[in-house]
Amino acid sequence: MEFGIAVVQALLLVALAPLVSGSARWMRAKMHTRRGPSILQDCYDIAKLFKRQDVRTAESSFVHRIMPPLFFGVMLLLAMGVPMITRFSPISVLGDVILIIYLMALPRFFFSLAAVDSGDAYAGLGGVRELLIGVLVEPALMLALFVAVLATGTTNVGGMGEGIASLSAGSPVGVMLAGVAFACACYMELGKLPYDLAEAEQELQEGPLSEYSGPSLALAKMSLSMKQIIVVSWFVAIFVPWGSATDMSLASLAIGLGVWLAKVAVIFGACSVIENLVARVRYKLLGRQTWAVVGIAAFAFVFCVLGI
Amino acid sequence: MNGYVIVNVLGGLLIVTSLLVVLSRTPRKAAFVYAAQSVLLVSIFVALGFVTGSDELFTWSIAAFFTKVLFVPGVLLFALKKMGNPEQDLPSVVNPLVSMLLVAVEVLICFVAVQGIALPTAEEVKPALAISLAHFFIGLTCIVTQRNILKQVFGYCLMENGSHVTLALLAPQAPELVEVGIATDAIFAVVIMAVVALRIYRKTQSLDADELMELKG
Repeated sequence: MEFGIAVVQALLLVALAPLVSGSARWMRAKMHTRRGPSILQDCYDIAKLFKRQDVRTAESSFVHRIMPPLFFGVMLLLAMGVPMITRFSPISVLGDVILIIYLMALPRFFFSLAAVDSGDAYAGLGGVRELLIGVLVEPALMLALFVAVLATGTTNVGGMGEGIASLSAGSPVGVMLAGVAFACACYMELGKLPYDLAEAEQELQEGPLSEYSGPSLALAKMSLSMKQIIVVSWFVAIFVPWGSATDMSLASLAIGLGVWLAKVAVIFGACSVIENLVARVRYKLLGRQTWAVVGIAAFAFVFCVLGI
Repeated sequence: MNGYVIVNVLGGLLIVTSLLVVLSRTPRKAAFVYAAQSVLLVSIFVALGFVTGSDELFTWSIAAFFTKVLFVPGVLLFALKKMGNPEQDLPSVVNPLVSMLLVAVEVLICFVAVQGIALPTAEEVKPALAISLAHFFIGLTCIVTQRNILKQVFGYCLMENGSHVTLALLAPQAPELVEVGIATDAIFAVVIMAVVALRIYRKTQSLDADELMELKG
C-alpha cells in the first residue's frame, strides 16, 4: 500500500512537471499584460521534442548521454521518498534528509559535468555557475536542516514533519528561524530569478542545456521542473506539514492530496510573483546573499542550543 | 504550556528584533523595529506577571508600554523629522554578516556564563536570562559598528532593554520605585541624546559619527 502511494507520487510528479513550468510562463505573460502561451504549452513542447532526433556534438562523451536519464531517474526516486500526500515517508529508507541531500547533489554534479563535456564554452560556463550556486546554497540548507533534526530528534523527513506538526519539537523559535533559512535556501535551489545564473540567457544562450536536443532535452527540462516540485514538497513536508494524511484511509489520503496541491500551488504562485519583480542578481553579489541565509541558519542553531 | 516557556520564546524573538535593529539601514526603520521589540518586552513583563503572580510587573508593563513603545521611538522619529528625514546612507563599519555572527557568538557566551547562576527564578528562565545579558553586548555591538549617531542611540536603548528584562527576571517583586528609576533614567538619556544629535546635524549637516573628528583639539 505504501509502495502504491510512492508510485502514485512519482507519476503525479511526471504529470505535474510540465504544468509547473507552463504556469510560470503563463504567470510571467500575465504580469507583462501579454496574453502569453497556454498553461499546457510546455506539455506540447515536450511531446514535440520526444519526436525529434537526438543530436550530439562530436566531442561529447557518455556523460553527456547519461545525464538526462540519470537526472530523471533520481528525481523519480526522490519523488517516492519525500512525503507529499502523507505525513510519513512512503518508503521510509528514502525519506532520510542526509540521503535526500546527496541525491540532490548527484544530478547537480552530472548536470554541470555534462555541460562542460558538451564542448560548448558557453554551456560549460553555465555548468560552472550551477555548481557555484550549489556550493553556496548547501551550507545554509544543511545547517537549517540540522537544526530541525536536533529539535525533532530524527533525520527522517516524515518524523521531522510529525514532530513539528504536533508542536512537540523543542526550541520553537529555533525551528521557525530554521524554516525561514530553509525557505530562502530552497528558493535559491529552484533556479528562478534572481538566482538563475546558470540560464543567464542574454550572455550565455540557454546555459548548460544549450547542446541538448530532442528527447534528451525533453527529459532534462522535465527533470528541472520535477526538481522544483520536489524541493517545494520537501520544505512543505518538514516545516508546513499540517493537513497531510496521517493514516492510510481513503478519505484522509484524498484530503492530503488536495491540501498538498493547494500548498504547492500557493508557493509556486508566490515564487512566480517574486521572480517577475526582481532582476538577476550580479554574479559577484550572490555570495553575500547566501551568507546572509547562512547567518539566519546560524541563529537558528544558537536558539536550538539555548533550547528556545 | 509552561508559562516560563512562553517567556523564553518571547526572549528569543527579542534577539531577532534586536538583530533587525542592528541591521536596519535607516534610523527610521530602526525606530519601528525598536517599537516592535518594546511590544515584546511588554509581553514578557505580562507573561512573567502571570507566572510569578507579581502585581508589580503589570504596573511595570503599563509604564514600559508608554515609555518604550510610544515615547522613545517617538522622540527619535521627531528628531529625525526635525532634521527633514535625511536620506544619508551610512553603511556600518563591518559587513552585516559579521555583525550577525558577532551577535550569535555573544548570545552563546552569555548562555555559558549564566549556567553558573543559581537563583530561584533563574532556574526556569536561563535562556531568557542569557538573552537579557546578551542585550548589553548587542547594544555595545550596535554602538561600535554603526556610524549613524541615531543608530548608536538605539544601541544604548538595546542595552537599557536588556537591563530591564534582567531586573524583571531576577527581582519580579521589586517595588515600582526601582523600575521608575530605570525607566526615567533611560528616557532622559534618550531625550538628551536626541537633542545633541539634532544639534550635531544642524552644525555638520550629517549624522556620520566620523565627522565628529572635527571637534578634536
